Amino acid sequence: MTSKKNPPRAAACTVLIVEDNALVAKFYRMALERAGDFSCVVTEDVPKMLAEVEAGRVQVAVLDVSLSGTQWQGRPINGVELARLLKQHAAAHRGRPLPILLATAHAMAGDRERLLAASGADDYLEKPVYDAAHLVGKILNLLNSA
Amino acid sequence: MESCYHLLAIIVRSPGAQQVPAPGIPGRSKDAWGGQEGLLLESFLQEMKRYLGFTEVDARHLRELGPRMEKYFPELAERFYAQIRQHPHAFRVIAGGEAEIARLKQTLQQWARGLFSGVYDERYAGDRSQIGYRHVRVGLEQKYVISAMGIVRSYFSNCLLLEFPASDERLRYAHSLGKMLDLDLNLMCESYMHATVQNLRALNEQLERANRELAEASRIKDEFLAHTSHELRTPLNSILGFSKLILDGLCKSREEEQELLRDVFSSAQHLLGIVNDILDITRIEANQMILHLEDVNPRQVLDSTLPLVAVQAASKGLELHDLSARRPLPSVRADEVRLRQVLLNLLSNAVKFTSRGSVTVRAGVTGTDGVAPSRRAFLRFEVEDTGIGIPLEKREEVFHNFVQVDNSQTRRYGGSGLGLAISRRLVEMMGGAIGLDSGSQGRGTLVWFTIPVVPEAQQESSAAARRPRATATDRR
Repeated sequence: MTSKKNPPRAAACTVLIVEDNALVAKFYRMALERAGDFSCVVTEDVPKMLAEVEAGRVQVAVLDVSLSGTQWQGRPINGVELARLLKQHAAAHRGRPLPILLATAHAMAGDRERLLAASGADDYLEKPVYDAAHLVGKILNLLNSA
Repeated sequence: MESCYHLLAIIVRSPGAQQVPAPGIPGRSKDAWGGQEGLLLESFLQEMKRYLGFTEVDARHLRELGPRMEKYFPELAERFYAQIRQHPHAFRVIAGGEAEIARLKQTLQQWARGLFSGVYDERYAGDRSQIGYRHVRVGLEQKYVISAMGIVRSYFSNCLLLEFPASDERLRYAHSLGKMLDLDLNLMCESYMHATVQNLRALNEQLERANRELAEASRIKDEFLAHTSHELRTPLNSILGFSKLILDGLCKSREEEQELLRDVFSSAQHLLGIVNDILDITRIEANQMILHLEDVNPRQVLDSTLPLVAVQAASKGLELHDLSARRPLPSVRADEVRLRQVLLNLLSNAVKFTSRGSVTVRAGVTGTDGVAPSRRAFLRFEVEDTGIGIPLEKREEVFHNFVQVDNSQTRRYGGSGLGLAISRRLVEMMGGAIGLDSGSQGRGTLVWFTIPVVPEAQQESSAAARRPRATATDRR
């Protein structure tokens, strides 16, 4: 059993988590906080996400693809559209890209390429995502290459 | 060789090679060889006449022969069908038995009369070319007819011998008649080929249709697999994620470990529910779901099912009313386990999709399965809630696999999205129907289903037989 007691420090970075399954969101938060020293904002509310991005309070996002309760401009919005929206918003208001990790239970052949291309996200994780260190590694990668 | 080329011409230019085929209906010459086909038939006829050296002299000979041959036709018909009878397979395809044979003998005499008509035009060829269509349709193979035509040939030779003792006169007629029989045989073979091509074309269309249906079925299976994979991965994420957090020593306290273990447990229960639903729907769709129909007391089913959702309803502050308790209910013919599954499914849905108000259960006898009036009686169950309701246009759809009102609600509300699809199939297998309405106040949802009532005459005895439960006779 490897110890994750001293992972690379994520210097005061905050991760935006958009995930409609409460237990999965809880796992992401715990994994990122405990194994990576990240802070997390968990929300399914688009205006709140945009405000967080605009204020520069989040530096990276983990998005689920199938979102049940999330609406934008009166219509349901999924993680793919949301990724594009958040990227645009970050570019317009912060002048720099928001790295995005898509995490989804869509795991059939071709899903990865299709969803990455459609969303403009930077990386892709197939559920089940259960290794905290792996998730932290992915996020650090995104932050370092951004 | 020449006739082969013509055959090709007919096939290539036949309707359907380019355009959508108007399926030829053999039986009337216009249908099978109409329009351009008529021209091709005409040219085939001319070509055959040239090839056989068939002239007006031959036509005249045959016209002269006609009156003298007429008397031999009945005997010809007898011999012809005696020959067919020798081949059990050929004889079997004549569906109408002896009556049909008698009629066919008349037809054969007509055909023989035509041989000596002296007019061998397109119309003649059209009539002759129907033979193949008729035979292909009933499945009579060409070889039997060709051998029967041999009978015609030898019998007519014998007739000519009787009619014309002088050999040069006889030979002249025999020669003309021989050409004519060759022409007829060729026309017949040509029509066999044409009918076969048409048959093949129809078969081809059937195959293409089957192919399209298979592709669609395969697409549905793929979709099912993708959904299944998606639904299983979500609870697995929590099970694996939380247990790994604990194993990695990332919990702060024993209390937190306990909390995560409870999350693992509830996710695993959720996963089990999905796995069971998938097994059920797979079994149902493979027709491998076997129901054990017996006389079931609905009171017992209601009383044992309602408590299963009572806790959850109470924790959400919902009232749970059982209005079926007011009167005695007749026994129903059902699989008790599956009936309970359907009821539990509808009750769980109602509780799940209702955030405040109540869930109400009713049951009562009706003379319809809910769709059409029936001679037998049904017990109609209703589960009504004051929840989010279902839009009109979604009322049919929610009974399909993996559909919730908002397709992505599955995880918000839990469940596999298969519950109603399974319930519908189970109810239908028990002889009832299931449907969905708005709640009585115009909001919420009312799901109803019907199960056949055990006929009154059997009610008493079945109630007695039920007491020692699940005996061999009871659970056949």
